[in-house]
Amino acid sequence: MNGTTAEMVFHGNGISHGVALGSALKLDSYNRVILKTLLDDNLVEDEVSRFQLAIRTSKEQLEGLKQQLAEKVGAEHGFILDVHILMLEDDSLMDHIIAIIRGQHANAEWAVRQATDRIMEAYKSLDDEYFRERVSDIENVVERILLNLRGDHPVPWAPLPQDLIVVAHDFNPSAFATMDLQKVRALALESGGRTSHTAIIARSLRLPAVMEIKGFLPLVATGDTLLVNGDEGELVLNPSEERLKRLGPRLEQSKLGVPELAASQDSAAVTEDGVHISLQANTEMPHEVMAAKRCGAEGIGLFRSEFLFFAHPQGFPSMGEQLETYQMLAREMFPYPVAIRTLDAGGDKTWARTAPSLEPNPSMGLRGIRLSLRTKQHFSAQIEAILRASASGKLEIVLPMVSTVEELWEAKKLIEEVRLSIRLEGGQVPAPVPVGAMIEVPAAVLTLDRLAREVDFLCVGTNDLIQYLLAVDRDNPHVAHLFQPLHPSILQCLRRIAETATNLKKPVRICGEMSCNPFFAVLFLGMGYDQLSMNPRFIPETRQVVRSVTVRAARKIVDEAVTFTTAAEIAEFLIAEVSRLVKLDLSSFEKELRSSGAISGDTPTPGSSALAE
Amino acid sequence: MIQLSIVVENRLGLHARAAAKLVQLASRYGSDIYLAREGYQQAINAKSILGVLMLAASKGTHLVVSISGPDEVDAGEAVGGLFAAKFGEES
Repeated sequence: MNGTTAEMVFHGNGISHGVALGSALKLDSYNRVILKTLLDDNLVEDEVSRFQLAIRTSKEQLEGLKQQLAEKVGAEHGFILDVHILMLEDDSLMDHIIAIIRGQHANAEWAVRQATDRIMEAYKSLDDEYFRERVSDIENVVERILLNLRGDHPVPWAPLPQDLIVVAHDFNPSAFATMDLQKVRALALESGGRTSHTAIIARSLRLPAVMEIKGFLPLVATGDTLLVNGDEGELVLNPSEERLKRLGPRLEQSKLGVPELAASQDSAAVTEDGVHISLQANTEMPHEVMAAKRCGAEGIGLFRSEFLFFAHPQGFPSMGEQLETYQMLAREMFPYPVAIRTLDAGGDKTWARTAPSLEPNPSMGLRGIRLSLRTKQHFSAQIEAILRASASGKLEIVLPMVSTVEELWEAKKLIEEVRLSIRLEGGQVPAPVPVGAMIEVPAAVLTLDRLAREVDFLCVGTNDLIQYLLAVDRDNPHVAHLFQPLHPSILQCLRRIAETATNLKKPVRICGEMSCNPFFAVLFLGMGYDQLSMNPRFIPETRQVVRSVTVRAARKIVDEAVTFTTAAEIAEFLIAEVSRLVKLDLSSFEKELRSSGAISGDTPTPGSSALAE
Repeated sequence: MIQLSIVVENRLGLHARAAAKLVQLASRYGSDIYLAREGYQQAINAKSILGVLMLAASKGTHLVVSISGPDEVDAGEAVGGLFAAKFGEES
């Protein structure tokens, strides 16, 4: 706990709606939470041995690295590793750590962190910059020890209290897989961007989240009371009674998760001029299928299968495990379809098995279908699970990151081979499953007439399409403001996709974040899209929007929108036109339109840290 | 007990490479070897890399080395020699 209980307010970027109150759970740079556990008397010496083993292992690793380094660049460069090895041999440190384990009956991880944090604090106070920076060497060694301690003792979630607010510098999306999501209420991060995958997942899990909060981490400790206000982009440490009273109703509402509008699910999403728009759900976690049904989704337009894989840091999930999940999805959503996107690891979706960190430019690297075609054994297992599960309902296969027709040929050949190799219970082979391609690479848009002929349907992945078209890394805060969904080039591409698909009579679906915003939804309607897949939370609102517009009016809006020169002009035009048509409070979406950098006069200021009150 | 007065003369001071050499050398002797900045009470163990780096001894720093133990004479010569040779870094 920090010593004071005075309320402190920090400002950041609210990237996922909702308000949540809870106690802070602080993660380290590897998204590890280091908690103190009290050991039984008879386990203390085992813990000391476990620590000593980790030290020996660390030393052996460093000796090995030193040898490699000597062979590659000469022995004289090995000295920095000597320094690291000497730290592991430093009795003053080692004795201190062991004393903490023995004296406090503490787990080794905690003891290591305690002892080294103190030393690092001392180093940080040195005047000489060179010696001050040795902190990074100490941290390096600490990380190695913790890594070697890990495995035996995974984060113990069971003893943690309910209502946790996860605070960290950065948050790797794969860390969601190891969290107990029943206990986590919100995220507060120092880094991030509104379209990062962490943000997308936070929204899909309906976890309020604020990112790009500067300077709060040193002031927050595990156990502190925090209020995360995703609507306002605020983080409040030790929130006052008055503040909590004021927010009361909203706190209650966010606990319910799905907004009240869900009640309107009985009415269909049909425009005023009678066009039925199919609103579907994007989901990541198997249990989200319930939220999708509650919101009245007509299918799962995009099931991001990565999470089955993230949950398996030691290997690939077996065919059988995947089968169970896909069967459940197919059964639950029937008679509506579920589109399963095959593993889209790589890019910003880092995942241990693919070692994308070894790639200098992962988003241009081995990801999506490219990776699947390189690891055919695992790809085949996933395909087999989908084909088998399709007997339980309606499933579809979506291939991510397609950029050439050859990739589709190769994937389809494999899918057909797998299908013919399967014998279901009755002895028959499963029926073919529709195969679609994600359109998210500009090359796929330009050659869509060829690609579309090879597949049964198309899905537009707007996030990646925008990233690749605009050459903007959406997670890079320096250019995040250039990530403009309303850039004229995006509108041209989206329009072109709809036209080509209509001409070739291929169903096409929007599957990116863009479909969550009613302003964009109107644009899609006007372009001719009739399937929008989105975070289920936004389905009820979007349904209302669909019911209050005509496709004719939407088409006119698109015709005029494409004549503008800048994203800012388009955004302003869109806000004016849509607000006239739709009699709903869209202010939060309007804010999103502005803060996503579409309006240049209102560029987001980098999360300033104001300590108010 | 032996006490040596030493001035750090190599260009980079007791930086990582020199500190590692000092700790490795000191660890070969059974004697206790402590370093302190001249005029300061706080002494650090010359066998502790974290201690030696914490001294933050740049070029020109005056140090006092205190050695006591069965091989204190040999240790003193060796440690003094290492500083005099500027840690073998400059010819």
